Amino acid sequence: MAIIQVDRISKRFDLQPNRPRSFQELVLNGFRRGRRARKEEFWALRDVSFAVEPGENLGIIGANGSGKSTCLKLLTRIIEPTSGSLAVNGRVAALLELGAGFHPELTGRDNIFLSGSVLGLSRREMRRRFDEIVAFAELERFVDIPVKFYSSGMYVRLAFATAINVSADILLVDEVLAVGDQSFQNKCLGRIHQLRASGTTIVFVSHSLDAVRSLCDRVLWLDEGRLCGDGLAEPIIRRYLQHVHDRAESEAMAHLRIRREAAADDAPSQDNGRETTDVTDGPAHPRRVPNGQRWGSCEAEILDVAIQGADGGERYIAASGEPMRIVIAYRAHRRIEHPMFGLAIHRDDGLQISGPNNVFSNCDIPFIEGAGHVTYAIDMLPLLEGTYLLTAAIHDAKGEYTYDYHGQSWSFRVVRGEVGERYGIVYMPSRWEHTPSAVIEPQEAN
Amino acid sequence: MLARLAELLRYRELIENLVMRDLKVRYKGSVLGFLWSLLNPLLLMGVFTVVFTLLAPNTAIPKFPAFLLCALLPWNFFSSSMVGAVHSIVGNGHLIKKVYFPREILPISVVMSSFVNLLLALPVLFLFLALFRVPFTIWLVYLPVIMAVQVVFVIGVALLLATLNVYYRDTAVILEVLLQAWFFLTPIFYPAEIVPEWRTILGIELPVRRLTYILNPMASIVASYRSVLYGFTNGSPPAPPAWDFFSRTVVTAIVCLLVGYAVFVRHSRRFGEEV
Repeated sequence: MAIIQVDRISKRFDLQPNRPRSFQELVLNGFRRGRRARKEEFWALRDVSFAVEPGENLGIIGANGSGKSTCLKLLTRIIEPTSGSLAVNGRVAALLELGAGFHPELTGRDNIFLSGSVLGLSRREMRRRFDEIVAFAELERFVDIPVKFYSSGMYVRLAFATAINVSADILLVDEVLAVGDQSFQNKCLGRIHQLRASGTTIVFVSHSLDAVRSLCDRVLWLDEGRLCGDGLAEPIIRRYLQHVHDRAESEAMAHLRIRREAAADDAPSQDNGRETTDVTDGPAHPRRVPNGQRWGSCEAEILDVAIQGADGGERYIAASGEPMRIVIAYRAHRRIEHPMFGLAIHRDDGLQISGPNNVFSNCDIPFIEGAGHVTYAIDMLPLLEGTYLLTAAIHDAKGEYTYDYHGQSWSFRVVRGEVGERYGIVYMPSRWEHTPSAVIEPQEAN
Repeated sequence: MLARLAELLRYRELIENLVMRDLKVRYKGSVLGFLWSLLNPLLLMGVFTVVFTLLAPNTAIPKFPAFLLCALLPWNFFSSSMVGAVHSIVGNGHLIKKVYFPREILPISVVMSSFVNLLLALPVLFLFLALFRVPFTIWLVYLPVIMAVQVVFVIGVALLLATLNVYYRDTAVILEVLLQAWFFLTPIFYPAEIVPEWRTILGIELPVRRLTYILNPMASIVASYRSVLYGFTNGSPPAPPAWDFFSRTVVTAIVCLLVGYAVFVRHSRRFGEEV
């Protein structure tokens, strides 16, 4: 039998900004009948169903406001669903009420017993666990002094030790446990893993996908109150990440479209000079940084800079390890011989990562006149996750005279792609080898 | 409803612990802690005794301090329960938002800790009764019954007030004023007998004394206490409260509890969001 059975629950919050909060307001509002309190609804959860078997470890992921915490609160019975039914068959301990119910004037000992009874344990049951709790909190010497004299670290340690040692059937954990110092945190995590190994059912809500991966076999993905995914942790997390990525992209695109339409209204003639080799409806644009610097003689101008992905589609988010093209659209008002198109990529904190130009790369452009595009194609983007700034410029052949310079004027984001690396700025195309000394024939490991 | 009561029973240890917490905190830090809680009724008793025996001796009532104290203590139980209960849900918002337990435990434990204070004050009351040579009679057996009825009534009102304060946060302020008026409208420092049977107010003939009892359950409860502890101002010894009168009081108290509990249960579903 399922230990948690959730059947089509929905939770509606009524937001009534004008509801009287006191008798005083009630009386005053009585005289102003005109504006009746209008009711706004917010559905935190809609029609969510799932069941958890004993011993399962369930993670709940989703963006802010997706209903994760509401879900957890429903499981603890702090709030009740608007519709649907919910059955929890076992004792629930929730690591979200750390220290709730502690009274500063009472001693640690009294508070342990009080917390126990808040969780529904009898005095006898608590007495059995008392020593273990005190030992876990490392507070043997202080258990008989009022908790108002405790340091905040001691306080949360006692709270955590009490909450986690009540031998619940179900442990509900909200967010990462930032409890005490590093060694105590490790102890807490160790304890949670130990409970997990001993068959305690765990429901874990977190933004930290790594924490979810390490603790949970199964993941629920909530999005705007609806259940979007339920299954093995890894595939669901991957789908979730893809979704987050796609959404950021489409938001960026919507943003760009508005900007482009505004630009098109300003300069309708601009498209005439465009070459027909464009993919889609024109080159795409990374986000224009509002306070980027610009200078130059403007004899040749950079009209726009766009980033294209592997599919040729426009984007402002790129993935590590995938092909990327930076396309500079220009217009030269007179004939310019051997121009130098330059780019620079900075990390958002100002560190310059690269500064390529066509002259360094021995790609000669004999002359430019009128409009055109220059493309900088990267076979495999080596940048790791982060936000980067783009500079683009047109100089003369020696780099001494500047026609147009846009300093750190566009930004783009890089997200984790096929490349597994996570630390630093760049991925260097590479492979690992392992040669055990006992083996004579060197073997290549991948 | 029954399931809910069973659950409440399972959590009775929490009520005990909350009452203990309350008493410990109240009496901690001062050796005289317990005496402090007695100070208020004793001081009030002193003041009223001075007023009614020295300043306005015409209205003198025999054994006035004893007369007063056996009404003052039940009143104090009532008023301190009300003041505590009105804050019990909102003031424990940190608990309500973090843990589940039957919410009615909070107001109930406030009432119970006030009740323990009443019990602790009883020896002092008996001391004063003995001091003023009020005869102890067999009718003292009624005392626990009357107390039980008062507890039922007080819990009922406490549940209502606690709920009300969640939605209208100035309930506590209004309550303070109301309690003061209520104190004077209840025959505590004056005998119920001086309230006229009938009185014409604005041309309407009103049964004032009956109305006092009907509209004010505390008047009936205080009168019952006084009847079995003190007796009557004409000097007759303690007697059990009239049967029909007392049974009406019991019914009122039970109705109060049922209404209070029903309202509380209905609204406590949303306490987690409202506090």
